[in-house]
Amino acid sequence: MPTKEQVLQMLRSGDSYEAAARRLGIPAGLAYMIATGIPADYSDSLGPDDYGREGLQLGGTQALLGVPNQPDAHPEVAAWIRGRASGDDQMQDAAATRPNQEGDK
Amino acid sequence: VKLGDWPVLRQLTGPDHFGRGAAVASPTTRGLEARVASADKVVKSVCPYCAVGCAQNVYVKGDDVIQIEGDPDSPVSRGRLCPKGSASLQLTTRDNRQSRVLYRRPNAGDWEPLDLDTAMHMVADRVIAARRDGWQWEQDGKRTRRTMGLASLGGATLDNEENYLIKKLFTALGIVQVENQARICHSSTVVALGTSFGRGGSTTFPADLQNSDCIVIQGSNMAESHPVAYQWIAEAKARGAAVIHVDPRFSRTSALADLFVPLRAGTDIAFLGGIINHVLTEHKYFRDYVQAYTNASTIVDDRFEDTEDLDGVFSGLKPEKRTYDPTTWGYKGMAVNSASGQRDADYEKVAGGAHSAGSGGPGLRGTPERDETLEHPRCVFQILKRHYARYTPEVVADICGVPVETFTRVCDLITANSNPDRTTSFVYAVGWTQHTVGVQYIRTASILQLLLGNIGRPGGGIEAMRGHASIQGSSDIPTLFDLLPGYIPMPHAHHHEDLDAFLAADSAERGYWAKMDAYVVSLLKAWWGPAATPDNGFCFDYLPRITGSHSTYDTVVEQLEGRCKGYFLMGENPAVGSANSRMQRKGMANLDWLVVRDFALIESATWWKDGPEIETGEMTTDGIGTEVFFFPAAAHTEKAGSFTNTQRMLQWHHQAVEPKGDCRSDLWFVYHLGRIIRDKLAASTDDIDRPVLDLTWDYPTSGPADDPSAEAVLAEINGWDHTGRLVSSYEELKPDGSTSCGCWIYSGVYADGVNQAARRKPYLQQDWMAKEWGWAWPANRRILYNRASADPAGQPWSERKALLWWNEDQGQWAGHDVPDFPPGKRPDYVPPEGARGIDGLSGAEPFIMQADGRGWLYAPAGLVDGPLPTHYEPQDSPFDNPLYAHDRNPARRIMPRPENLLQPSGSEPGSDVFPFVLTTYRLTEHFTSGGMSRWAPYLSELQPELAVEVSPELAAERGLVNAGWATIVSARGAIEARVLVTDRMTPLTVRGRRMHQIGMPYHFGPNGLATGDAVNTLTSASLDPNAHIQEVKALAVDVVPGRRPRGPALLDLISSYQQRAGVTVSTGTSI
Repeated sequence: MPTKEQVLQMLRSGDSYEAAARRLGIPAGLAYMIATGIPADYSDSLGPDDYGREGLQLGGTQALLGVPNQPDAHPEVAAWIRGRASGDDQMQDAAATRPNQEGDK
Repeated sequence: VKLGDWPVLRQLTGPDHFGRGAAVASPTTRGLEARVASADKVVKSVCPYCAVGCAQNVYVKGDDVIQIEGDPDSPVSRGRLCPKGSASLQLTTRDNRQSRVLYRRPNAGDWEPLDLDTAMHMVADRVIAARRDGWQWEQDGKRTRRTMGLASLGGATLDNEENYLIKKLFTALGIVQVENQARICHSSTVVALGTSFGRGGSTTFPADLQNSDCIVIQGSNMAESHPVAYQWIAEAKARGAAVIHVDPRFSRTSALADLFVPLRAGTDIAFLGGIINHVLTEHKYFRDYVQAYTNASTIVDDRFEDTEDLDGVFSGLKPEKRTYDPTTWGYKGMAVNSASGQRDADYEKVAGGAHSAGSGGPGLRGTPERDETLEHPRCVFQILKRHYARYTPEVVADICGVPVETFTRVCDLITANSNPDRTTSFVYAVGWTQHTVGVQYIRTASILQLLLGNIGRPGGGIEAMRGHASIQGSSDIPTLFDLLPGYIPMPHAHHHEDLDAFLAADSAERGYWAKMDAYVVSLLKAWWGPAATPDNGFCFDYLPRITGSHSTYDTVVEQLEGRCKGYFLMGENPAVGSANSRMQRKGMANLDWLVVRDFALIESATWWKDGPEIETGEMTTDGIGTEVFFFPAAAHTEKAGSFTNTQRMLQWHHQAVEPKGDCRSDLWFVYHLGRIIRDKLAASTDDIDRPVLDLTWDYPTSGPADDPSAEAVLAEINGWDHTGRLVSSYEELKPDGSTSCGCWIYSGVYADGVNQAARRKPYLQQDWMAKEWGWAWPANRRILYNRASADPAGQPWSERKALLWWNEDQGQWAGHDVPDFPPGKRPDYVPPEGARGIDGLSGAEPFIMQADGRGWLYAPAGLVDGPLPTHYEPQDSPFDNPLYAHDRNPARRIMPRPENLLQPSGSEPGSDVFPFVLTTYRLTEHFTSGGMSRWAPYLSELQPELAVEVSPELAAERGLVNAGWATIVSARGAIEARVLVTDRMTPLTVRGRRMHQIGMPYHFGPNGLATGDAVNTLTSASLDPNAHIQEVKALAVDVVPGRRPRGPALLDLISSYQQRAGVTVSTGTSI
């Protein structure tokens, strides 16, 4: 198991937690835990003194555990929309005959 | 037992000498493991209870949810959950949740099982039949193309996407009686805020309250009803803000406030009107703001007469119809909806057209006359001064029971904290909305905030605290009878009303509402796709027409009259949660069929076998012919979708697990119901079926149950162009059919093909606006009307309250929020002669949805009960109105019938039979009518049964004993409750006499784990005429010790009260 100093050293050299964890062969959340002593999933609370800990990130550490926090891609939805639009002749005609094409892409 | 298991030995021999840690842990404790530790995955979600919108982490192991916790990254909740949210694991996993379809045959005594597919087909058959039976091609010679044969209620607890499909399918079927809890909770908010400012949603967001210097919480017990949002008030208080709580009942909100002001329920207009009078007479208003940004200088029609001129009514009252002709209320030189002259019926006056002001003020045409000195006797400012002159501190004390010195302190705190450097905010909830003058309550606060310059500025505004996860969404994408998505009004049945006439009548000349044609046509394209063409008015004729009010209370009357025969309840429990619950149940007993979709067997599902009317003998189970279908619903963890919270922000909740058994999402239910109905009608050549057969209803499905894609539905709501590119703003929508958009105000939520509502950038990585968390309508703006945070020249009124400013170098508006203004419009822009649309407003007119660009101190249009708020007594009140000859709102909507008796008030004979004022409220641990809380063991243990709060003085007067029983009686019914004797209920001196108020939570019913009589047994369907919201926050009752009688004796008790009070169907109906 890597030591706290190992993880912190990598962070000091510019690595992210994800990069450091990859190089050390451990999960990113564990790397955070080792470096800060604080679980990345916020399952512990921070005391006033904890805010000075090296390696501490304010917010967003759930992502180190693989918990997604951004929208998923939905290609099937995009395909369905294209089908709806292309199958609407009036919509196509209206776009083709509209005098001002500004904004069309 | 091993020696090492002895805690004392471990304590003495180990490092934990003081026994504060490991030494005293038992083997059992050491064997415990946090539920989250064994989870396979964590799924991002949103709490399904109130509208604060706290973010949740859902922990999943295998096919099961094993824990739900607060998400610490959320800028809304910062990881916190209230007791309900903390117990939401039980909402989803409790044993007493129904998972199979149940069926009750007509006149049968019990349920029987039914397979899901058969049930779906049976319901589809009944929809088709009831629709046809109740079909109306026309009424009074006007085309209606609708059915009155069936109705639905529910949507505020559902996802936006579910509301969208309900409205879309049911509208295509011609069903106009589509309603949800938004009618019952906050419909008055939409009307009031919309009419005042141009949009019907909160002007700000709870986290912005931390920037307030003074916060007035009135008509809300925020610390208990919205406890997680209350953290922002705690933040403000820690920074030195003054917090004032004005409420009939002392609560935790009061305990945390600097000043608690008890007042008589039902008198808030008098209280706020008194503050307005103080602000005007003491010259405390923000003159530069008022002059530039409100309609204070606008001259009003010479024919307008105020309540001061007519002793309590405005000009235009038609007593025989209980309506006003608002023609004289307009601005001089401007016409309201001049339109085409084809508005040939008074439907709007009955329907209360102002709900459509939810995102666009009433249409005005012409140019107003103004007097910038504010001295003209007919200018709004002078009319306002005269109107409120009689609301003196002494009058406030006489009506509200608030001592002059307390009232003066409130005035001083508010005015000292409202100026260029400081801001005051108002927070309210249903304590304001649920009155026969509910709209005017909120209008009064709106007027006050405009006078003080507190709209559009940080720490200012009016925060409407909504109570259901998506009740804002179910207003925006409305499962409401009078609206189409984006607050486009449902068309009324007028002669020759085609699309052009509709647009001419309802759009505006200036402001963004002038683009209504693009919004309407894009909606019609979303619903009817290729079938919608210019030749057929884009299928405008497919929309059913309304003819007045078809609110949920009107639907009950339709049921009692036998015209409405089928009823869908989707996440709503009117047998407990709607006013006059006995009338609700009697209406349902007159149905042919009823569909209930819920988690448990709520009272609205079982009234036919165990309802109160069965006990009294008024109804017998075998005499009730209503066929009942119960469909178990999927929980928020079992489906994906978006909620719109109280700050207009959409947040996406991901599906964590598949629902079990027959549990299905409402998206699944509505989509497949529509699919089956379309299959059954596929061969039809009947014109009534064309709208549903031409409907775009082809959503991609997936999963074992063929769930429709909620992502696809949200994308349809967002809209796209002819290439399939998702539009990023409603500014891209066109009126020629080349764009499609299901709800124009939500355009942008799927910008760039990305579900913006699913964004969850941690709040600590953003500024306080947290604009990358979720997506707020319109255009992701967080503080509405934020142009008003800068002066007319475009610079902040003060550095301390800077939010938006004009950047001359960049030639655009800059600041902390998305500008609620055309980004490149200069502050010194002056519209050229004849300019229309948004170009018709100047660079210093911040209220861009209003036709005159101003905040409305005076409402020249949009309201049906007057342009200025006026104090009237509640429908059932122990007091006369000391201000005017008219006691009650003369335009209020009442429904006098044997099931909905009203009471004598004030000095009328018999009024003293009901001497006490009852107000209802919400508990932290329960939710609305209880369907989502009274079956949860944790919550039921915390609040196990109904109680009535009375003061020690009233308890002594009436012989009520703490923890004993009391019976509470109105003209509608009688209920019992445990007595809670408490100083929280403050006796007041009103009109020179001692006045007692009692408080009761309204969540309870006989089913579930936490039980009690339904408090709505006492209330009446007496409605605000603008919004059709019921008055349940102030009514008169009697309270006596002991339990209520059982069986027929209960009816005898009610009857004896009615006789003593002389109650008949005509009681309480005078103007």
